[in-house]
Amino acid sequence: MNDSSTDLYAQLKLSANATPEEIRHAYRQLARQYHPDAQTAPGTTLLFRQIQDAYDLLSDPVRRAAYDRQQAEAGLSPDALFHWNMQLSRSILPKLDDEQIVYVLLDIAAGQTNMSIERLPLNLCLVLDRSTSMQGARLDQTKAAAQRMIDGLIGEDTLGIVTFSDRAEVVWPSQAMTDPIRTKAKVSAIQASGGTEILQGLNTGLAELEKHRRERSINHLILLTDGQTYGDEEQCINTAIDAKKRRIGISALGIGEDWNDTLLDAIATRSGGVSQYIASTNEIQHFLRERLQDLGATYSENLLLTIKATEGTLLQSAFTLLPYIQRIELEKDTLVLGALELNKPITALLEFVIGPHIVGTHRVAQLELSGDIPAQNRLGERLRQDLSFTISADSDLNTVVPPNILSSLAKITIFRMQEGAWQALDKGDIVGATNRLETMATRLLDLGEHDLARAALLEAGRLSRNGNTSAAGRKTIKYGTRSLAMPLVKEIIL
Amino acid sequence: MIECPSCGAKHRPGTLFCSECGVYLLTGGPLRTEPLPESELPATRADPWQSGLEPSPSGDLAAEITLAIVAPSGRQLALPTDGEAVLGRLDATRGVFPNIDLTPEGGLEGGVSRRHARIHKQRAQFFIEDLGSANGTFLNGQRLTPYLPHPLHDGDEVQLGRVKVQLSLTKSTKQQASE
Repeated sequence: MNDSSTDLYAQLKLSANATPEEIRHAYRQLARQYHPDAQTAPGTTLLFRQIQDAYDLLSDPVRRAAYDRQQAEAGLSPDALFHWNMQLSRSILPKLDDEQIVYVLLDIAAGQTNMSIERLPLNLCLVLDRSTSMQGARLDQTKAAAQRMIDGLIGEDTLGIVTFSDRAEVVWPSQAMTDPIRTKAKVSAIQASGGTEILQGLNTGLAELEKHRRERSINHLILLTDGQTYGDEEQCINTAIDAKKRRIGISALGIGEDWNDTLLDAIATRSGGVSQYIASTNEIQHFLRERLQDLGATYSENLLLTIKATEGTLLQSAFTLLPYIQRIELEKDTLVLGALELNKPITALLEFVIGPHIVGTHRVAQLELSGDIPAQNRLGERLRQDLSFTISADSDLNTVVPPNILSSLAKITIFRMQEGAWQALDKGDIVGATNRLETMATRLLDLGEHDLARAALLEAGRLSRNGNTSAAGRKTIKYGTRSLAMPLVKEIIL
Repeated sequence: MIECPSCGAKHRPGTLFCSECGVYLLTGGPLRTEPLPESELPATRADPWQSGLEPSPSGDLAAEITLAIVAPSGRQLALPTDGEAVLGRLDATRGVFPNIDLTPEGGLEGGVSRRHARIHKQRAQFFIEDLGSANGTFLNGQRLTPYLPHPLHDGDEVQLGRVKVQLSLTKSTKQQASE
């Protein structure tokens, strides 16, 4: 039996529009090549059987049509709303009494690549920290970046600007950009003073966004801060969860070293936005411009992956690799993936624990991808794929792990090691944290990441000498390892 | 359960990387270099003062010198034309592509590191340098100090971990200098 995740056409090295004649021809050729009489390499018998099965199905017009329909439902046909591709570390497992691990690499991209997708109006609110610590270059660059953003808005886009310190003020009520000069003048007049009360800023910003929130708009709050908020962290996270329900995403940009990365990351992931570490004030403009571009390229929002596993199968952990490495929070059996942009696929790696099974093919989980495509008024679009394995009695399986799973996992492992180092440190285990940072540096060197390796060694040294780490080093390592999977190191234009 | 070769942490079968120390676990494909027992390797160390630049024997800088490396299997290992090569073990997932891959010569079991040693030519002299390998580089049975280049001579035996290769140097000058 074949499940929906196997591409039978690919098995016969064919495309989906192959003629019956081509199918027959491909089968004959492969059958000759992989016939058990001609091949003795392990695994050949199974491969031969798969080719045989694929041919049996595709050569039958009725079963072929049913298969094609099933592929379309799974989002595997070219005109699907999402394209998603599943790759397993192993699809044939030995029969064991033990639990085994299988990794699944999932690529999710905008579908309908042959159609042009309309850019939806952006409904944005900038929520800017104007506490005393922002005084000087930080606030100047933030103001300059906000002014550049005003120039980047088009058509029906709306923008509101809120500042906060001990309390929040609306600097510019949310509206379409009819008078950019006056808006910019208002931004110029922002002065720094007072503390950092993030919750006040968030609430005021969300109220501004509410004024122009429509079905067909991308609603987003962009928070810029350089400090810690005290006592309202939990409420901030709840506010973010609440915002997501109203289709408002929150992106959180932290400037310098002193902000609370755990809080900003949580606000961003819970609302389907992104978080970002801005080490130097020169980068503020760059990141804000990039955020505006990405929001303009939003294809789908509220992307969720639901995993229904059978008894004896467990999703142990899940990470995104792209847009950046992050642990995905599990809400019951649902993974929150956030927004999907055109030309920016999401890649995730799932780690499954598979319990003992008898020999044969088993469907162990169903993966359901759902998301809204606001530009087409399509909400809650769903695609399904099954996750299946073959358990073989042959204990000497010569399986080769796909190289992209290995390289993805190598990077996620490093990300997890730094997570582990901070966890150890929080528990007061300085030796454990130091060791983790040091071994992590070795792995980083293996990958040729010399700067990050140096940062890890520096913090390891600081830890063993003084028993603490620097806030800057910690953020460099966290946000540096997070970006390991990015295809290119982005040049920051100063 | 499978055991991490590096830190001993236990993992379920199918796990690919150790969550404790980040090494690639032994599940097929490119593998990590195992430390060999000390008793299996020569104990003497090369004199570090022997390293570094050595005046070219006959001073014939014009001499064209070529190095041939013969593997235990009798296979001749080709050196790049500029005379510089990293010897080691190919590991595509880690992006390590040595010029001379010793995997087919039993490199993994023989304890060859991914980036094990480097051979380079300076004037008319070849040098070998250990790149901080796990099991060491030995020149005529003596362990080299890592990162110190040692001159190579005709007939030298170089051992990487447990894998031995034979070197032969050929000089061709205008007057067919004596070897």
